[in-house]
Parts: sequence; structure tokens; C-alpha cells
Amino acid sequence: MVEKKVRIPEAGQWPDKLALPALAAGAVLTTVGFLMAFLFAAPVNGAALDTPELVNGVMVTHQQLISQKIFYFHMPVAIVSFVMLIFSAYYGIRFLTTREQRFDTCSRVAMELTLLFVIFTMVTGDLWTRFEWGVWWTWEPRLTTYLILMLIVIAYFVMRNSIDDPERRATYASVISLIAFVDVPICFMITRLIPSSVHPVIAREGGMTPDMAATVLVVMIGMMLVAFGLYRLRFREARLAERLQALKDQLED
Amino acid sequence: MGRPSAFAQYKTLLAKDLRQEFRTREMLTSMGIYALLVIIVYGAALALTARGIDIANMGGGLLWVLIVFTSLLGLGRSFAHEKEQACMDGIMLVPLDRSVIFLAKATANILFMLAVEVITVPLFYFFFMSGQPVAATFFWVVAPLLVGTIGMAGIGTMLSTITMNTRSRDVMLAILFIPLIYPLLYACVTATTAAIAGTEFWTDFFVMPLVLACGYDVVMLLVCWVLYDFVVSA
Repeated sequence: MVEKKVRIPEAGQWPDKLALPALAAGAVLTTVGFLMAFLFAAPVNGAALDTPELVNGVMVTHQQLISQKIFYFHMPVAIVSFVMLIFSAYYGIRFLTTREQRFDTCSRVAMELTLLFVIFTMVTGDLWTRFEWGVWWTWEPRLTTYLILMLIVIAYFVMRNSIDDPERRATYASVISLIAFVDVPICFMITRLIPSSVHPVIAREGGMTPDMAATVLVVMIGMMLVAFGLYRLRFREARLAERLQALKDQLED
Repeated sequence: MGRPSAFAQYKTLLAKDLRQEFRTREMLTSMGIYALLVIIVYGAALALTARGIDIANMGGGLLWVLIVFTSLLGLGRSFAHEKEQACMDGIMLVPLDRSVIFLAKATANILFMLAVEVITVPLFYFFFMSGQPVAATFFWVVAPLLVGTIGMAGIGTMLSTITMNTRSRDVMLAILFIPLIYPLLYACVTATTAAIAGTEFWTDFFVMPLVLACGYDVVMLLVCWVLYDFVVSA
């Protein structure tokens, strides 16, 4: 059997050249998306209101139409958090099959970004909850499963900190990232299994108008680029720290 | 002489755990007393309100809180003596499939948790629900209890193997265990409450959560079963 050479990610490989441009492009696209959300995308159902009015049988106010703009950031950020968690689980599998510490670093960095984007989602979602439903929190299925996801991601870091042996830490962390990954489809499917009025399944409810879809797409691509740029920069930083530590250890010996 | 079959190894490991428990009675006593203490805490928490509210609607939730905390205590102990007396190293020396260890440990945990539930559910009924007529569907609570116990024992066995080697292991177990069983807990509480209340359309809130709980059990047990080799060898 031919031993297949495993390509190991390292700081300074070609994706690093793209990190800063991706970050800049992501910032520009997200800003454009922000402006589009307010200037280009029509209010939901095409309503433009000065006074409270009935739209599709629901009483809608102007304030509600403004807070609806949160959607253009809330959904892309949530999707990016899922994507980063998938990457973390992927690198977890790579670690378990190759036993190469580098993949553990990748998995950890991806999980850090998952936590960042999960927090973004929670903040935007909570603003929405407060202004739309008048409460800070409600035990709605998707909110609950997403909160659980956040707690698992936090537990992942707590667990990492309580183990000293790097090999064992990496194994356990990979296993937890894989188990956390099980929550992604649950979180994603829950609104389809248990229909609730507050998190619409967009495709089922007639889809988005082209201007809404365009805005979501711009923000989503922007956020993906931001996530990619941050991932590479953070990975480089983590790798350089590891190499520095290795050199220090060598000097001491 | 050939190697013993996986099933024979499984039986030996399970018998070892059960025999140890029968001799020390460590887990069952601590879990049982702890469950009783939680019930007493409920007594204080509900002292003024228990007559005012409809306990049948809350019974399922309270019962599951009791089960979650009791099993957390038991699961934390389940690998403690393996670690203390280095029994785990002995088991690891035996040339057996690592997932057999998982299955044996998980089965032992299921049996201990079921044994505690057999005592605590009647106690819970005795203390909080005996003043009310029992719904005809009450005995269906057995189904969510069984499904929930299997899933919690499976996930818990995996996690207690992980936390066995961490600092402050009991806290770590709780931090990992509660989020991971949450979907299961949610579904089981819904099904249990439906069975206890036993209203006209109770099956609407019973069958679907139970199916989801079974699905979560299957997925989680498979994931744990596959990954256990890595965890226990680390």
C-alpha cells in the first residue's frame, strides 16, 4: 500500500496571501449589504408605513419594519456559524485519522470562530426578540437548540482548559466537536419538524423577493469572507505561537 | 483455545460491574438517597404553591429534573473506581474491541439508573401526586423513561470517560452532559407530561416527541460507539 502523503496546513501557505484581501472584501461587502438592507431591499411584503397598519392580517408598525432589517445579518451570521462548526468537526475527523496535532489547531481555531459567530447570532437574535416579541428570551425550539449549541461550544473550551496532555486534549476536543456537530442538523431541521410561527422556513413561505435575496446573498458572501480571513489570521497567530514555544523548549533543553 | 467472542467479553465486563455494585452498593445507595433529597427540596420549593397549581402539568418536568441530577451523580461515579484502582489500565491490556467496553459500561449505567427510577418514580407519586386521580394513560410514562434513560446512559458513559481524565471532573461532566442530553430531555419531558396529564389528544404530544427521542438516541449512541475507541485509548 502506498503511504499517502498528508498535506498539513501551516502558516505562510498560499491561503495566507488571500487572508487580508478576503477580510477587506468581506468588510466592504458587509458594509454594502448593510446599506442595501436599508436603502435597496423593500420592507417585508413591500409595505411602507407611516402609521400602524394591517399587512396580511398582522398589525405592523414602522418600528417593526425597521427591526425586520436585522434578518439580513441574523441569518447569514447563523449560517456562517454552522459552516465554521462543520469545518471544526471536519478537522476533528482529520485529527482522529492522522494523529497530527496541526489539525487539532485548525479544529480549535474554527471552533473559536464558531463561538464568535454564535455570539453575533445571539446578539442580533436577541435584539429582534426584544423589539418584535417584547421579551428578552423565549423558549422557542430553534432558540433553545441554538442556545444549546452555544453551551456545547463553551463547554468545548472549558474542557480544553482542564486537560494538560496535548495528545489527549486534542483527541477529546475532536470527539466533542464531532458530537457538537450532531446539533447542527437538529438546529437546522427543528423549525421544519416543529413548526413555530417565529422562525419561518423561508422556502415554504413563498421565498424571498429578488431584492431581499440579493441583500442576503451579499451579506452572506461578505460574512463568509470575513470568517475565512479571520480564520487564516488566527491560525497563523496560533501556529507562530506554537513554533515559538517549540523553539523555547528546544533552547531550554 | 480461541479468543472469547465479543458477547462473552461483554457479559464478563457487565457482570464485573454488577458484582462490584452488589458488594459495595456504592452507586445505588448514593443515587437513591440523593434522589430522595431532591424530592425533599421539591417539597420545600412547592410548599406553598403545590395545592394551588395543577401538579399533573408540572409532574413530568419535575420528575425529569430529578432523573437528570441523580444520573449525573451516578455517571460521575461510574469511572471513578476504575480510575482510582487503575482497573481501566487492566481492561485496556485485554485484546478486546474497545466498543465492547462502551456497551458494557453503558448497559451497567442503564441498569443502575433504571433501578433508581423504579424507586424514585413511585416515591415522587407518593409525595406529590397521590392526591389526584391517575389518568388512564399514566403507565405510558414507562416508554419515555426507558428511551430517555438509554440515551442519557449512553451519552453519559462517553462523557464520563472523557471527564475521568480532566481536572475538576464532576463539574466538567455536568457542563458537557446537560447541553448534550438537552434535545432528548426536551422530547422526553413533553412525552411524559402528555402521558401524565392524559387529556383527550395526548397522543399528539406523546408519539412525535418519543419518535424524535428514539432518533436522537440512535444517532448519539452510534456516534459514541464509533468514537469510544479514540476516547478510551487516549
